[in-house]
Amino acid sequence: MDGIHPPGPAARGLAWATALYLVLPILIVLPVALTDQRFLSLPQDGVSFRHFETVLTSPEWLGSIWQSFTIAVAATVLSVVAGTLCAIGCWRISRRATELVRVLMLLPLIIPSIVYAIGLYRYFGPLGLLDRFAGVVIAHGVTGIPYVVITVSTALAAFDPRLEQAARGMGASLSQTLRWVILPRIAPGIVSGAIFAFIHSWDELVMVLFIASRNVFTLPRRIWDGINENLDPAMAAVAVLLILFTTGLLMADRALRRRSEGG
Amino acid sequence: MSAAGHALGILGLTKRYGSFTAVDDVSLDVGQGEFLTLLGPSGSGKTTILMAVAGFVAPTAGSILLDGREITPLPPEKRNFGMVFQGYALFPHMSVAENVAFPLRVRGLSRADREAKVRAALDLVQLGAFAERLPKQLSGGQQQRVALARALVFEPNLLLLDEPLSALDKKLRAELQEELKALHRRVGRTFVNVTHDQEEALSLSDRIAILNHGRLIQAGAPGELYERPRTRFVADFLGKSNFIEGAVATADAAGFVLAAGTARIAVRAPAAPEGTRRLLSLRPEKIALLAGEEAADNVVEGRILAWSYLGSGFALRVETASLGELRATLPAWQAAFAPAEGLPVRLGWSAEAAVPVEEDAP
Repeated sequence: MDGIHPPGPAARGLAWATALYLVLPILIVLPVALTDQRFLSLPQDGVSFRHFETVLTSPEWLGSIWQSFTIAVAATVLSVVAGTLCAIGCWRISRRATELVRVLMLLPLIIPSIVYAIGLYRYFGPLGLLDRFAGVVIAHGVTGIPYVVITVSTALAAFDPRLEQAARGMGASLSQTLRWVILPRIAPGIVSGAIFAFIHSWDELVMVLFIASRNVFTLPRRIWDGINENLDPAMAAVAVLLILFTTGLLMADRALRRRSEGG
Repeated sequence: MSAAGHALGILGLTKRYGSFTAVDDVSLDVGQGEFLTLLGPSGSGKTTILMAVAGFVAPTAGSILLDGREITPLPPEKRNFGMVFQGYALFPHMSVAENVAFPLRVRGLSRADREAKVRAALDLVQLGAFAERLPKQLSGGQQQRVALARALVFEPNLLLLDEPLSALDKKLRAELQEELKALHRRVGRTFVNVTHDQEEALSLSDRIAILNHGRLIQAGAPGELYERPRTRFVADFLGKSNFIEGAVATADAAGFVLAAGTARIAVRAPAAPEGTRRLLSLRPEKIALLAGEEAADNVVEGRILAWSYLGSGFALRVETASLGELRATLPAWQAAFAPAEGLPVRLGWSAEAAVPVEEDAP
């Protein structure tokens, strides 16, 4: 890095301020979760893990965590299968029409989720999908597709189309080419998309508020209700667990990318 | 690996993209075990022809025949052709052995059969010790040989090569040219090669097909094309050439005399009607430097305009009074003189040296 000026103190200070501004609200829940008081507050006389204990022994919290987890896993499978097939299809055909398809697939990212949720509510009523596990999986699965389409399309853009020609020239059928040549090359993109689709479902609240009520009570929904009803510090404890889990997933994604770049 | 090669037929092949004609009514036969090279500048349609033979490009018209059997509608995976791609297209996530085993795995061969064939194929290209490496751990020349082993391991009906040596540096290219030629002799299969490198085409091929603007201009053995080019394009693209244009002054059974500028040039060729225009191709190395009163069928005088030393000889540009500028190359042993700009010289060539060629259709 010779010949590049180091940043001045003003630029350095601004950068740190921005980073702190982004991270502080997340970090503030840490001490709150460790409070010894019965309401949302900073610790007064010492730190306590009682709220973590409450969360991890309460059947309601554990039930919601499990429900959110199973919904997120099922929705991720849906997003990954549909998103990967869509990205590969667009890549193979690669005409101007497929550009339109790709933009269309990104709509759930662009449209405010509250608008999307109203539409879902209208549709799911007659279909009997309101307040059902399948309904939430479909809603989260479909809105998770854009993440997969983006990451898989990026992986495919770096894929040498001659590899596919080479495979077919040597006698490989379309499915053999897909399994042995294309999928192994774009696997990091698929896993990356899966992680984002999972996180999307895992912390989604707005749609759940519209299309679920009592049977399906996901973790974000329970946090939301807890905030509205009582200011139990257990929420902060849940928030810390969520932050750790999400950070873990993002680090897994990073590690994966580094490995695929290195290898 | 001694199965007999197969014969390929290309019949009236045409490929249009919208209003652009990439390949225009090309017909060509490739004999069993023959090494044929499609040679032409970029955009001449040579790669499109190869891709149509491989099945990746659907022809607009015409057919592809293997041993007389129509294969035009078959998809590439059903044709059983080996192919070496430009840049090799090795699978980067597979080892050398897995790359070579790929076509066998696709065909459902048992692991034991696969291993034996992969070892034989890697030995054929002298890469037995590299089986467990990844492609990116190999040099360009080694990657090229892996691609060859992979294309030959399943005993294909035909081996197609798309600019196989273009990514290599000049010295390695010459080395691999010889290896490729030896490999062709050893496996006895039919090879179809695409290149824009005329030296590669001349040294490798049993036969060359020269293409320009999607049309087949001339096909034949390398020597035949070089000595008897049919058109100006062939003479110019394959090696270097001087061109002399004029009108037939007199003609007899042995040939004719062409009036070009103020010169009279004797040409031994089939007679042509007096008064018709003719174009001659004259290779620079067929022009000799005449000493003193030495005679030749054709002699012109001029002055050296520019010269360069090539190691093996000299390249001269000579301004002649009667024919304008001529290029001549002289072997170093013949040039017992010190070339200098402005030096007066006498150039001579035999009546067989200049060959009548046609102008190319636009």
